[in-house]
Amino acid sequence: MLIFFTPAFAMLFQEAANGRLAIAWQKAQHPDLSKFLIIGALLFIIGVAGVLTRRNIIVIFMSIELILNAANLNFIAMSRYLQDTGNVNAVAGQIFAVFVIVVAAAEAAIGLGIVIALYRNKETIWVDEIDILKW
Amino acid sequence: MILSGWEAVFFWVFSIAAIFAGLLTVMARNTIHSALFLISSLLSVAALFILLHAEFIAGVQILVYVGGVMVLFLFVIMLVNVGSEERGNEEIFNRPRQVTTSVIFCALLVAGLIYAINMGYEGFLKQDGPRIEAAAAESESRDRTLNKSATGASRITNDSQRMGSSLYRYGSLPFEIASVLLLVAIIGSVMLARTLKQEAAVDDVDPEVLQKEAAHDQGLGEIQVEPTA
Repeated sequence: MLIFFTPAFAMLFQEAANGRLAIAWQKAQHPDLSKFLIIGALLFIIGVAGVLTRRNIIVIFMSIELILNAANLNFIAMSRYLQDTGNVNAVAGQIFAVFVIVVAAAEAAIGLGIVIALYRNKETIWVDEIDILKW
Repeated sequence: MILSGWEAVFFWVFSIAAIFAGLLTVMARNTIHSALFLISSLLSVAALFILLHAEFIAGVQILVYVGGVMVLFLFVIMLVNVGSEERGNEEIFNRPRQVTTSVIFCALLVAGLIYAINMGYEGFLKQDGPRIEAAAAESESRDRTLNKSATGASRITNDSQRMGSSLYRYGSLPFEIASVLLLVAIIGSVMLARTLKQEAAVDDVDPEVLQKEAAHDQGLGEIQVEPTA
């Protein structure tokens, strides 16, 4: 198990561990695509953690918004990368981001309607008390 | 795409702000605070979009997310009763075992994702490393040819124009489908959020059913049911 994850951690800390802090500093001064993707991944993970751990259904919805936003960040970073490396007109990622925003707005409207209907009937917003589907 | 100078400084400032605001969104006890931290996270991500030369998406993000969706969230938070949570006599997280499991899962996932991104980016560099360097200089010189804005402090990009022409040329069918989706969402949320009283007043409800329902809901007794034709 440990052997399996060693490369990941080695990759994470290799810059600091090998005493190549100067190179890391140099890289930090010139953020590239991978930095944007890592920020997107971290936002995604924070959203996943929120969905998995919180009891408040509204906070769970907000975590889902965070996840969608992380996906948008990845789309736009890749779009910029494609514009820079090849196709100058590669704005497909931005168009995808627009549709993601549309779907997020629709999802928020429907989800909050469900929350209000649920609160009217069950008087609770704790997800572990909403268990009527469980016989 | 390599940022440098002040762009790099702003990149770090806004990305750290986005991540900390996201963490506080998940960990704040007061739901209103959660919503406000989410707003600051969304604003920081909008600033990152501007660094990526996607000004239109940044504007849409602020208008739609912060101006529309988050205001809706705040209204709903104020409609439902979360007083017990704020006073601190309710546990805001799941049971400890579930929380531990999901945090371990998320830590492993983030380690795997960062490993995969680093490995994949090395492949990208191998594939078009020289082109990235050349493209960075080229895009900088291209930016210098753009028109100056009225105040002269900045330049006007043609991002919105390119994006709009591409959206209507290649994505017009999804665009129309998105409008239908929004219509369905409007009707669905109105249908979901109305009360039993409003439902009975508008729909053609059988009086007997209404009396049965009135036993559970006092407000229903006052409705005058229109005689059916």
